Amino acid sequence: MTSLLAVLIDGSIYASWLFLVAAGLTVIYGVMRILNMAHGSFYAIGAYSAASLVGWYFNNGIGPAWISYLLLVGAALVAGLIVGVIIERGLLRLMYGRDEILMVIITYALLLILEDTMKIVWGVNPYFAYQPYSELGRTSLGLLKVSNYDLSLVGVSAVIGLVLWGLLERTNTGKVLRAVIHDREIAVAMGVNVRLMFTITFVIGTILGALAGALTAPAISVVPGIGIEVIVLAFAVVVIGGLGSIGGAAVGALLVGLSRAAAVHYAPEFELFVIYGVMSLVLAFRPEGLFGRTLARKI
Amino acid sequence: MEMLTRPVSGCITIIIAAFTLLVANGAQAERFELGASADEADAVIGCLYPMTGRSATYGRDSIVGIQIALDDLVAETKAGLTPPKLRVIADDPRSKASYAVRLAQDFVAKDNARFFCGIVSSGVAHAVSDLARQEKIIMVGTDHASSRLSIEAGHDYYFRVTNDSWTSMAAGARYLRDLQKETGWKRLAFVGPDYDYGHVSWTDLQLALDGLGVEYETVSALWPKLYEPDYSIYINALQSAKPDVVVTALWGGDFIAFIKQASTTRFFETTRLANFDTGANYDVMMALGDQPYPGLILSARHHNNWPETGRNKRFVAQFHDLTGRYPTYAAEGAYTGVIAIARAIEKAGDADDDRALIKALEGLQLALPEDPPGFASYIDPDTHQIVQAQAVGTVVHNEDFPPSKLMVGNWAIYDAEDLKPSKEMVKRRRDAVAGGSEAVPPPTP
Repeated sequence: MTSLLAVLIDGSIYASWLFLVAAGLTVIYGVMRILNMAHGSFYAIGAYSAASLVGWYFNNGIGPAWISYLLLVGAALVAGLIVGVIIERGLLRLMYGRDEILMVIITYALLLILEDTMKIVWGVNPYFAYQPYSELGRTSLGLLKVSNYDLSLVGVSAVIGLVLWGLLERTNTGKVLRAVIHDREIAVAMGVNVRLMFTITFVIGTILGALAGALTAPAISVVPGIGIEVIVLAFAVVVIGGLGSIGGAAVGALLVGLSRAAAVHYAPEFELFVIYGVMSLVLAFRPEGLFGRTLARKI
Repeated sequence: MEMLTRPVSGCITIIIAAFTLLVANGAQAERFELGASADEADAVIGCLYPMTGRSATYGRDSIVGIQIALDDLVAETKAGLTPPKLRVIADDPRSKASYAVRLAQDFVAKDNARFFCGIVSSGVAHAVSDLARQEKIIMVGTDHASSRLSIEAGHDYYFRVTNDSWTSMAAGARYLRDLQKETGWKRLAFVGPDYDYGHVSWTDLQLALDGLGVEYETVSALWPKLYEPDYSIYINALQSAKPDVVVTALWGGDFIAFIKQASTTRFFETTRLANFDTGANYDVMMALGDQPYPGLILSARHHNNWPETGRNKRFVAQFHDLTGRYPTYAAEGAYTGVIAIARAIEKAGDADDDRALIKALEGLQLALPEDPPGFASYIDPDTHQIVQAQAVGTVVHNEDFPPSKLMVGNWAIYDAEDLKPSKEMVKRRRDAVAGGSEAVPPPTP
């Protein structure tokens, strides 16, 4: 029973992290039709920025611990905004309208460049910023002691999911974005500034990626390559849920998170297999993903 | 069209990308060439060590270890002895087996190398060991530690000169046996990286415990991938399994990350954590800060503070004089590799006679920094694995090796002869491979 509870808790925590990463990826694909391989780098940049800032804050004993949580979020917002604007304006804007495969290659090249740039900036040794994680303490759930930081990550993830849903479904900006998703040419004809919408979408996606990295940083060792590992998992999640679907990303994250936790607790040898096993099963029966829509292509 | 309408931003993007690539390229390490010139050298050694990435510390320390060995040989020459003049070339295999093989082939073809040395990754070492056998080049492993390389995959041309996973786990099993007498522990868990080294370490530990008749229950065996950044789910799973002792084969940054993440939980209040092969490495000691987590049981292939012999103190001091810092165990491994090759050439009398060199290396005795008083390491003629004593201990305050504030102490010392794999076990493991099994045979019940 304790083991089952541990699977549910570990799975939910892992799923919330996966959702945070996958949300930005799926938003960018939903609006811009770009399979953004560089999204993992945005996650890593957020993690490095947050770990550096929080590490500096605690090493210098500047102030109370609660400020470190603001620093985490602040680092993600600033890093995501700067990187997002530079990449969208400086690179992607030149490539809009090109084939989706070409965009995958371009963003993959960007991922490689950013990975090496991060090694130059932050080096190759791990960064640890555990203070915000340990400061929140732990809560007893049955026989288990669960980190309050991890539990709060589940809450933050749920809030971000709701905000994204509300933004897309309940605001004028969301309506315009959905119009762009539905038919870009008609949207342009109706006077929608599609380029601006693309910039806004990309920056939101970048900030979400950086935020995922920043909020995860206190729980992990921030090392070179974390962005590449993350992007593979994030793709598995959005493919399971259906590309471009926020709800799908949430369900995909839950499926992957719970499956992995069950594997770690009951059959550790199958840990890596189950993630891609679940993805294969879903794709075998629903190639468009659980919540993906089959789209007619204009020829 | 887009590009033509936005020529300025397009150019800026290209310039930024080109600059980034240039800087990244410039940041790559160049190969090292040490010792005698190509014209003067009696033999050329081609070494493969990481110079970039997360394991670069071990590569850098290995280069210093090689330099100390070459300096020692020059000092012998000045003292009137006639050690061989060695030329050592080191390059970075970037943790890729195919790239390492390509570099090793170039060592032979372009640099006329007669020896290979080094390699941190056991997976990469397997590939280069195969090449060594094909090309009839003697390979002296200094860092990778999977015992599969010297037992199942051993061959005439492969030698190892630091403790392998068997030696470390044999020492660990003895420590655990003694600990059981004190504490009565029963529940054992293992967490190791999900590749050859991790799995072989776990099998070695079980074989060693079974060989000693230790009774225990395995409550969990977990396999995070190499370079896993987040161990929280594994730590939770370990805590759920309620082990008395967790043995780990995580190394370097992975082991440090595991400790740091476990320290935010009640892990160290409820269980002991043992790392018998790499845990006491100096980079781990530094990363612990001033936190001697209770229940840590550590060892490594070389310690800066054990044995307290003149030879070890001199080696550590030489390293410190050259670099201004203290070495990880990689340095002593590389030092040993070069000294072993030099002594083998002296004994064989010909650096080009591979059969004579193999014969010289088999049984070769070496007085090394990590040898306790009264003992000299030697290479087992059967497995080609060096036979060495091992010290296991717990973490204590010790600021003699700054910036580290902690070192391992409270030593339990295990004799080298006791840590050798038995002939029966070696035969059984080799027979299993000859019978078509790639896997190390599981321990007998």
